[in-house]
Amino acid sequence: MLPTNDAAPAEAGGLALGPAWRTRLHAARAELNAETCEARGGIRYLDRYTTRVDDILCDIYRAARAHTDVPCALIPIGGYGRRHLCAHSDIDLLIVLDGAIGAAEERFISAILHPLWDLGLEVGHQIRRLADFGEPETDNPEYLTALMEARYLEGNRALFNRVISAVQAADSPWRAAMREALVDLVKRRLSHYNYTVFHLEPDVKDSPGGLRDATAIRLLLWMDVDAPHDVSVDLGRLNEAEDFMLRVRSILHMERKRNTNVLEHGLQEVVARRFGSPGEQPGRQVERLMSTYYHHARRINRSLQTLLKATDAPADADTAATPIDDDLVQGWDGIRFADGTRASLQPRLWLRPFEMALDTDSTVSEQVLTCIERHGERYAPEEFFPSDAERDQLLRLLQPRPGLYDRLEEMHSRGLLGRMFPEFQKIYCHVTRDFYHKYTVDEHTLRAIRNLEHLCSPRTHSRRRFGELLKEVPEPELLVLALLFHDVGKWTNKNHAEEGVRMANDAMRRLHLPERSRQTVEFLIRQHLQMSVVAFRRDAEDPTTVTNFTRLVGTEERLKLLVLLTLADVDAVSPDVLTPWKEEMLWRLYVESYNQLTLGYGDDSIDHDEVARIALNAQRPEDISEDELTSHLEGFPQRYLRLSDGIDVYEHLRLARNLSPGIVRPRLTEHETSWELSTIALDQPRLFSNICGVLSFFGMDIMRGHVMANLHGVALDIFEFEDREKFLALNPSAPDELTALLGEVIAGRVAIDEKLRGRWRAGPRDTPAARIDPLVHYNNHYSKRFTVLEIVAPNSWGLLYRLSRTIADNGCSIDLVLINTEGTKALDVFHLTERRGKLSEATQERLKADLEETLAVSAK
Amino acid sequence: MKLIKAIVRPSKVDEVKDALNRAAISGITVTEVRGHGRQRGHSSVYRGREYEISLLPKAKVEVVVADEAVETAIDAIMDAARTGEIGDGRVFVLPVEQSRVIRTGERDAV
Repeated sequence: MLPTNDAAPAEAGGLALGPAWRTRLHAARAELNAETCEARGGIRYLDRYTTRVDDILCDIYRAARAHTDVPCALIPIGGYGRRHLCAHSDIDLLIVLDGAIGAAEERFISAILHPLWDLGLEVGHQIRRLADFGEPETDNPEYLTALMEARYLEGNRALFNRVISAVQAADSPWRAAMREALVDLVKRRLSHYNYTVFHLEPDVKDSPGGLRDATAIRLLLWMDVDAPHDVSVDLGRLNEAEDFMLRVRSILHMERKRNTNVLEHGLQEVVARRFGSPGEQPGRQVERLMSTYYHHARRINRSLQTLLKATDAPADADTAATPIDDDLVQGWDGIRFADGTRASLQPRLWLRPFEMALDTDSTVSEQVLTCIERHGERYAPEEFFPSDAERDQLLRLLQPRPGLYDRLEEMHSRGLLGRMFPEFQKIYCHVTRDFYHKYTVDEHTLRAIRNLEHLCSPRTHSRRRFGELLKEVPEPELLVLALLFHDVGKWTNKNHAEEGVRMANDAMRRLHLPERSRQTVEFLIRQHLQMSVVAFRRDAEDPTTVTNFTRLVGTEERLKLLVLLTLADVDAVSPDVLTPWKEEMLWRLYVESYNQLTLGYGDDSIDHDEVARIALNAQRPEDISEDELTSHLEGFPQRYLRLSDGIDVYEHLRLARNLSPGIVRPRLTEHETSWELSTIALDQPRLFSNICGVLSFFGMDIMRGHVMANLHGVALDIFEFEDREKFLALNPSAPDELTALLGEVIAGRVAIDEKLRGRWRAGPRDTPAARIDPLVHYNNHYSKRFTVLEIVAPNSWGLLYRLSRTIADNGCSIDLVLINTEGTKALDVFHLTERRGKLSEATQERLKADLEETLAVSAK
Repeated sequence: MKLIKAIVRPSKVDEVKDALNRAAISGITVTEVRGHGRQRGHSSVYRGREYEISLLPKAKVEVVVADEAVETAIDAIMDAARTGEIGDGRVFVLPVEQSRVIRTGERDAV
């Protein structure tokens, strides 16, 4: 019902009092503003200001009361009912009358509202009769939720009590409707803000983690006081967070002189100054202010999310659970500890629920999260990883897959990531102030990991190609580990990549990460900005730019890791930064660099003044002379030094001493999931195919490999292979058998093709066929010396042997080889010569036809 | 008053921006675009498969200048964007009938 303008004589009294009320309102605001100037306009002073406004309203009510003697009550609701009035907040009022509303009552209502409007107050008024409180007004959810905070101000208290009893009683239909309205409004609001607390210009009232969330928590706790769940909210911290938000809001109202709640860029400096945020530059002050803001917003929003989740709890929530093993059970809300008390004493168990949730596509229960939050501070980082088993568990957990971001976010928000890695805690809620970074550094980091997770099931064609690359990475968990630490150095003003390397090394030492893995992670952190710089700011069509970049990267394996990390990192800056245009630029740099590394490395021999060569010379052991080292390296491609560390190079050199034709010196090494065979021999016809043949004869699947030779004909062949039938692992004499046969074959005393023929006849091994059209492609412009042959084909047992045999049968010399198997797809690159030159057209045609026939046979 | 529209290499945007600044020309719009000129793209190869790249990533730089500043602006852009290789881009000059500053309503301010 609308109030009329039919002013009665009694209103004249109100008009007369208007200036006095205005003076009192201004005085109240001045008092609040004085506190707000010092950033103290929080709960305490807003309560005091609300009391001042209450007093004015009571006076207005009393002046208006002369119009009618119908019992009535003046009831603040919503934020005013909560006593959280800021200087320019709306005044939410419910006026209830116990009787019909006639002309006199309309004059009464006008006599209340007109002075409020004259005072410049925004009034959200609701006029009701007591009879209106029968059925709940479900079509007005805002009103329903505002009623939850109704309080008595003036008028007939018995009438007020009857209203409250009607709407707030435990069995009232209003109460159920209020709850439903509240949850619905919250969900719609969170959806409107994309469920994230991270906005460059957040609304301290409406944004997730803002004041409305805090209110929703209190109301849900009040309504669900008897709910069957074990969710507890730290009310002390909630008060602290709410008070902070209100102090900010008070400053916004004071500065803008209106009801505005958006913490705009321009106002952030003002608010930071009033808060006395540390930092000499305004930008730094804002970073600290916003860090605090996000800290509180996260806390509020997380509590609300937890409560919302708990609303789905079944009646037997605390008892219904299915055992998983001795330590874990599956509860209604996810994985729980079987014995929470026992688990709280064993931090090494804490990763298990997260890993189990990922493995079973489940969630982690509030019981686990609360346990970790309550007890985490008791433990030092080392106590989470007492042995390599826990380290391996962490690495398994970090493998990109659906749910990883959610689990890491839970680990972070409950303090577990920060306890395990204090280095990561350093960037908790750290803000980098610019117009691009939408998220705090820790959230940016987790979102970058989520971007990798999304590559497991990419949605667009352009992302699918990156998704394919991720599948090819042998240890994607190292990529996630690198992402986790790539920005930790931002806690200081130093070079953050170098600082990140230093900090990550501390963490990796605690984890006892193998040296090679550490080097990979270190490389990724140190170079994490380089690829975006080259792709977006340099001319990637300039061959020199690409050459310089590939020298930095070194190998195609590292290139794949770096492009994936760059994509994930840039896309996590904000949703708009990685445009399809930039994505294309990144991909093109990847392709150009990949081609350079796989097709164009043959001509780049090690220079005398190569930095790595000089370092090798400086560190060479006493038994190796400089001349000997120089001679050994002569003619090897630079790639050799990127793939082999000093220890390997010296070992190769020693093995190459006094070599004679027909002699092979093998070294067989077992790794965690694979084996490696390195051989040194003088180059001879069919050397490569014979080695492949021996490995095939023993049933080995060649995954990766490199073949190269120096100027003196010393050929180095390195193969990484899988022993799927565990022949080498289960038979102690098997490694010797393999190397012995290799020696016989290379010496020409055994024909490996004869032996293999028997194996072929035994039938194909169980290798899943890939749906790939075989492809044979020559490239003659990447190298001045070699014809580069690329073969992409479904992988099959003995494929490499067959291909290399075909090449040898065509009179071609295999000078360099790169072997790569990606799942069921073989990607092999051969650098070939014919009579020390490139292959003639005729040879190319003949060889291509033969290779295609070989591939067709292999596919069968 | 003229609109200068320059299609340049993405790697040259910062240099063009700095050159325009030095020439006291303020107000610049940069857009990510794709296209090709006379070179009509090129072919590339990835894992043995050849494919055509007909639309190349380029940046479009737009500035509005007074008539008397057109040559200065063009020179600044061309000096900064030139590498001498195919694909350096192109500069177009178009007439502008009028402009308004949205905040103040000011006319034809450049």
